[in-house]
Amino acid sequence: MSSLSIQALTKCYAGAVAVQDIDLDVAEGEFVSLLGPSGCGKTTTLRCVAGLEIPTSGKILFGDRDVTRLLPERRFIGMVFQNYALFPHMTIRENIGFGLEMRGMRGSEAGKRISSVLDMVQLTGFEDRWPRQLSGGQQQRVALARALIVEPAVLLLDEPLANLDAKLRDEMRLFIRSLQERIGITTLYVTHDQAESMTMSDRIVVMFAGRIHQAGTPQDIYDRPATTAVAKFIGQANLIAGKVVHQCNGVATVDTPIGRLLCATKHAIEPGARTTAMVRPEAMRLVKECSTSALSGRIVERHFLGNIVDYRVATADGTILAVQALGSIVHEAGEVVSVQIDPEKAWLLE
Amino acid sequence: MKIVSAGLLISVAAVYLFLLLPIAIVVLASFNAAEYLSFPPTGLSFRWYSAFLNSPSFTSAFFVSIIVGLVAAAAATLIGTPAAIFYVRFLRRRREEFRLAILAPMLLPEVLTAIALLFFFNQVFIGTQTPLPLILGHIVITLPFVFLTVSSALYNLPVAVEEAARTLGASSWKAFRRVTFPLIKSGIVTGAMFAFIMSFDNVNISLLLKAIGTSTLPIQLFDYLRYDFDPTAAAASTISVGLTMVIVLAIDRIYGLRAVRF
Amino acid sequence: MTQASEIGVRRWLFAVPALSLVCLFVLIPYINIGIMSFRTPSTTAPYGPGFTVTNYVHILSDSLYLSLLAETLLFAIATTAVCLVLAFPVAFHLARTTSRWRGLLYAGVLSPLLTGVVIRCFGWIVLLANNGLVNQALGTFGVGPFQLMYNATGVTIALVHVFLPLMILPLMNAIQSVDPHLEEAARTLGASRMRVFQRVVLPLILPGLQSGVILVFVLAASAYVIPMLLGGGRVQTLPTVMVQQLMGGLLWPFGAALALVFSAAVLASVWAFALLGRRRMRRLA
Repeated sequence: MSSLSIQALTKCYAGAVAVQDIDLDVAEGEFVSLLGPSGCGKTTTLRCVAGLEIPTSGKILFGDRDVTRLLPERRFIGMVFQNYALFPHMTIRENIGFGLEMRGMRGSEAGKRISSVLDMVQLTGFEDRWPRQLSGGQQQRVALARALIVEPAVLLLDEPLANLDAKLRDEMRLFIRSLQERIGITTLYVTHDQAESMTMSDRIVVMFAGRIHQAGTPQDIYDRPATTAVAKFIGQANLIAGKVVHQCNGVATVDTPIGRLLCATKHAIEPGARTTAMVRPEAMRLVKECSTSALSGRIVERHFLGNIVDYRVATADGTILAVQALGSIVHEAGEVVSVQIDPEKAWLLE
Repeated sequence: MKIVSAGLLISVAAVYLFLLLPIAIVVLASFNAAEYLSFPPTGLSFRWYSAFLNSPSFTSAFFVSIIVGLVAAAAATLIGTPAAIFYVRFLRRRREEFRLAILAPMLLPEVLTAIALLFFFNQVFIGTQTPLPLILGHIVITLPFVFLTVSSALYNLPVAVEEAARTLGASSWKAFRRVTFPLIKSGIVTGAMFAFIMSFDNVNISLLLKAIGTSTLPIQLFDYLRYDFDPTAAAASTISVGLTMVIVLAIDRIYGLRAVRF
Repeated sequence: MTQASEIGVRRWLFAVPALSLVCLFVLIPYINIGIMSFRTPSTTAPYGPGFTVTNYVHILSDSLYLSLLAETLLFAIATTAVCLVLAFPVAFHLARTTSRWRGLLYAGVLSPLLTGVVIRCFGWIVLLANNGLVNQALGTFGVGPFQLMYNATGVTIALVHVFLPLMILPLMNAIQSVDPHLEEAARTLGASRMRVFQRVVLPLILPGLQSGVILVFVLAASAYVIPMLLGGGRVQTLPTVMVQQLMGGLLWPFGAALALVFSAAVLASVWAFALLGRRRMRRLA
């Protein structure tokens, strides 16, 4: 078990830059996701850590071991691939025992370890089956077992749940996470599914076009996105352009087409600066029209989703706001309502 | 619509008949008791097979074909398999050029290649007095088949499986030996079998490169058919076809005929 | 496993045997043909001293060789055309059928390719000879006998037979790769079966068709065994003349020049055809 440190990692292919200046520290036992749309460089980063790609520049350290130029088989990693990559010509036992065999362990000692790891992934008794006899979820668990049995320093997962159907994915998410917590292995997990990364990770690293936009806890990323791209990628967001009037103690007053907003912010912004405010749909509330509130609008769309209701509200100046509310009170389309914004949930971007 | 479909099926059947009839005729002729084939056949006999077995020119030609075929197939496999691995897994630039180069012997007219090699061996070597030019010519002509078959097998093997082995601690060589090779074995064997068949049936190269006094079975048949004509040739042909069919069946069992793409 | 720019020396070793084989036994010998074609021919040895262009002059000014060349190309064109017509139904059927005999049908097309050309010609000799099976059968109806062998007819029939699978297979592949949903979409938009074929399928299989045509054309033009066996001595093509001459062991430079002129003519024909096709295909792209 060791920590993982990626320093100034850059990788270019034939003139195109896949990842640029990636800096990331993963603490021992931490579960970190690399999250982003396809092509953002998250898989490239993972493959550099695995040794399946050689970085153009930068360093990768496991603990204080510099592994940047080390061959994959010397790094002591465990990797789980998207399409499982089980050896079709070997039984489950042989698949799982492969890593042990490469390290010189065979026979009854190996057999014991194989049994115990199969137990861990709840596939006891599957030793003599063949990969093609197993379902997708079972194959994925075997892949996990195969990677973990050698007790590697770092566990790497490349979108392992992408090929599973939705229900199975939910189950496997919890399974992988609880397993990881139990063993306490340093884990780097690549996914494009934000719900997945939110439920599983200690920290999320959001990447776009080869660069890290933000690294932080799921709450951090959600409530206080660093860039517009992050805000739009995670959940829904209302992005409202405005001008800063006044700022003090991390709260900025912003003049926007829908009124004056009080936004939390990390930056020090000059009054008069143009900026974007972000409010999540669930941070707004609709009440029957009342004259005391400043903001009102007409509901133009309404989607009933069972436990929640999605609204689109058009304000006087033409802005369409996305508002989400619990399904207990339902407003009708066409209704004129007042919109109340939770002051603690408005956030200033860039 | 039904008329069109029936018409289609009839024309398809007719074409199949066209394709297979001549071969069937030869096989039939080999069992015919009479000297020339007539319909209805006069009787069944194995006399032509015993004539074949008793003919030193035919039997020696048969053996030469088998041995040359085995040597050429083995050599082509040993040379072509690494080339296919190189092409599919390692080579990133100028891939089309490499592929065309290896496939060249198959794409160029065989007659020309035979002429080219005839000149070459006479000028650079002692000509065709030894079996070496013949064997080398066969290796050259069968190499593309091995290359194509093994490449196809490699394409069907996802890289992730090999990478998984590497992440589990296997060196490149170990990963090849324990994972890649077992999974492409059937493709390699199939390529070797195709190479054998192509060598066994070959005429153009054998005609120009064979040593005086030796002959391969197709050449022997060719000479026979130009001047003489008796069903011993039919027996020899049927044995050749039989051998080919057995190999093709083996290929289908091991690899599956439909997986073969040229 | 993957390197951006360089491949290690160790990995190149994988390709070295194959590349050197091709270089040594294909590239160099072919270049040598070129050189040989400029050597002085000799009637007492394979070739004489010095270099000359008389070989080419001789060929290009002799109507015998030029007509031989034309005849050979004509054979090839005829063979290709007939193969094309015969290949279509089979290729279509093979590509689209879902019957469980599909594997067997595929083997039926592939097997003749794996049977030697000599044997296949043998079968035609038995069928087409004056007292062969076809004439015997026709004789029972009081018709014939027809001269089906030792002439252009016999040679063409055999050429078509031998190379037909090589037209069927690429065509079949091309048809298979056309998404059946495209045809269905066209039908829902009101196109009849014929229209669908004309406007949707045919344009899409044109590249595969072109490969088949070029392949069969080149092979038919370069055929040696088939004209020899089915033509007796009476049908001569350029390859048969070439090979006969070279086997005599003399006048190699002349033979080499013949070979190169022949290759140039075949290549030119293919190129012309490809150009023609490209203009048509550009309209699709």
